[in-house]
Amino acid sequence: MSAITDERRPDDASVPDDATPPGGRQGRDALRQMGSPHRARNVKDVIARVVMWFCFFLAMIPLVWILWTVISKGAHLLGSMEWWTGNQRNINSDDAGGGARHAIEGTLQMVGMTALIAVPIGIFTAVYLVEYGRGKLARAISFTVDILSGVPSIVAALFIYAVWVTTFGLSRSGFAAALALVLLMIPVVVRSTEEMLKLVPNELREAAYALGVPKWVTVVKVVLRTAFSGIITGVLLGIARVMGETAPLLILAPYTKNFQRDLFNGNFPTLPMMINQDRGDFALATAAERMWAAALTLIILVLLLNIIGRVIAYFGSVKK
Amino acid sequence: MSVSRISALGAIALSGALALSACASENTSTTTPAGNGTSAGATGSANCFSGDLKAEGSSAQKNAIDEAISVFQNACTDANVDYQPTGSGAGIKQFIAKQVDFAGSDSALKTVPKDGAVESEDAAKACGSPAWNLPMVTGPIAIAYNVAGVDKLVLNADVAAKIFDGKITVWNDPAIAALNKGVTLPATPIKVFFRSDESGTTENFTKYLKAAAPEAWSYETGKKWTGKGEGKEKSAGVATATKGQDGGITYVELSYAQQNQLKMAQIDTGSGPVELTAESAGKTIATAKQTGTGNDLALKIDYATKEAGAYPIVLVTYEIVCSKYPDAETGKKVKAFLQTFSSDAVQSQLGEKGYAPLPTEVATKVQTAVDAIS
Repeated sequence: MSAITDERRPDDASVPDDATPPGGRQGRDALRQMGSPHRARNVKDVIARVVMWFCFFLAMIPLVWILWTVISKGAHLLGSMEWWTGNQRNINSDDAGGGARHAIEGTLQMVGMTALIAVPIGIFTAVYLVEYGRGKLARAISFTVDILSGVPSIVAALFIYAVWVTTFGLSRSGFAAALALVLLMIPVVVRSTEEMLKLVPNELREAAYALGVPKWVTVVKVVLRTAFSGIITGVLLGIARVMGETAPLLILAPYTKNFQRDLFNGNFPTLPMMINQDRGDFALATAAERMWAAALTLIILVLLLNIIGRVIAYFGSVKK
Repeated sequence: MSVSRISALGAIALSGALALSACASENTSTTTPAGNGTSAGATGSANCFSGDLKAEGSSAQKNAIDEAISVFQNACTDANVDYQPTGSGAGIKQFIAKQVDFAGSDSALKTVPKDGAVESEDAAKACGSPAWNLPMVTGPIAIAYNVAGVDKLVLNADVAAKIFDGKITVWNDPAIAALNKGVTLPATPIKVFFRSDESGTTENFTKYLKAAAPEAWSYETGKKWTGKGEGKEKSAGVATATKGQDGGITYVELSYAQQNQLKMAQIDTGSGPVELTAESAGKTIATAKQTGTGNDLALKIDYATKEAGAYPIVLVTYEIVCSKYPDAETGKKVKAFLQTFSSDAVQSQLGEKGYAPLPTEVATKVQTAVDAIS
């Protein structure tokens, strides 16, 4: 409590504050004058600092470990041209190498389809909730989005299976899996877009209204424009969330080792399923190697998408 | 009251999403065939097709069918054959749900009701014609173990049943020692690994225990493991777990035991210990009786066989197919691929992968049945 009040008046000369960043001498003097209360505060400061750094390193351990494991075990397959151009056709689990192009293309295509459906729905929902929605309907939608964001991926997958396969009698396909991913992506997009729209100052809206601009033009040209970079970040978070999702693929999109560009018919290759396939023969060095390489490829894809998104957000944001 | 209104809204929102996606599906599906790029003519062989063939099921036959797929796809560059090794139970379910063109299973379709459904009837309903069980690969099941310092181990059905039931818990148990005179057994605890998924391997192994040691094995036979131990997923899972655990023991197909360089127990059927080889397993298969009629070639194996030199724990893995496919095109594809799979050339290669070849008379019947698929 006292720390807060002190921080709020760092300029007050009568109470020299040892928390003032460069004031080393001043702080020490104050310590000498005032005695124990400051010493206690100093000790707390050191403890908090140590705990913070310790937790930071603790959190870094798994991250660095995962990256190190994946890179050290999978990197050398990525060096070959075949990995980026070929597929796994006729490569059995005890054969080495092969390509991952089919799975890379498949993952991008499936996630692209997911984003195509989920992003408009998500953004329009968020716009409704922030700009238009009042009363029971808005609260109901907000509540539904909350529930949807808590739905485990396996449940989303089984729901789509029940609708797509059991009820309509259609076959499993890449598109069916994309539908399940849509259910997972929508709440992420809605929530992040909502937050971004709320951050847009009301003065901007009022200024637009004052100029006689209709509400929908204000939303499109002022609100969405201002929140653009934040929305892109939210969409990317959503994409990152669904890209490595495996449960819907296990249930809805059986893997194929061949190139398959048809999302609507037949089995569909994706990186998570490729990892899963080779995981089945983990004891074989050839399969294990391929599994790590596919995992690394997936990480790289997510990273690349993030970078691209950042670039778009940077160039697309409103200059101050 | 408000909750039901909310869920109604949720349903509206979801159906809206589905309606949207249905539109999207129409738009895109018209454009995809052009981008598919697989219109080039098939290569010479008359049995080639162009397009996809989907299969799913037993992981016991994965290494065999992978081999057959390689051979077939090398001959037919426009054909894509996919096999998902998700287990016999999953394969049959997907076959009945018309999600795959044929299923791989370690046991023939059940003709008696189980959980209120009869597999063979459901499959026939899905096909619109009787479904056939075609034995394609025979896989000996190894009792694989990992005990430091023990390179040769003899078990009989009785002792094996007690080990897998958790009644024998250490490796130097007198019952094991009695069968292994001159072998120094350590006091390592026995760690049993079993298949946690529904598996035809489990079913065949428990059938063996039940038939050969009815007193020691009191459980029912089935695709789900009912004994003791720790569950691991799929054949590769139990093999990997056993490899990494001193004192571990499991039942797994010969091909996986070989791939993982696991030591395999010899089985004493009453006429001396028998080592697991393609030949000793083949002797048991040769005594099997056909239970299906006509082209339905379900086999019944005599697990309690006492024939000298016959290794009794074997499984026959079947391809489960429709005798007449609703879609003639699919029938042609299944037929073309299975003709390759059942051909003598491919079958003879499978020995190297840890499978036993089908006895000649069975192989001939299978080839006849495959030719009759339409």
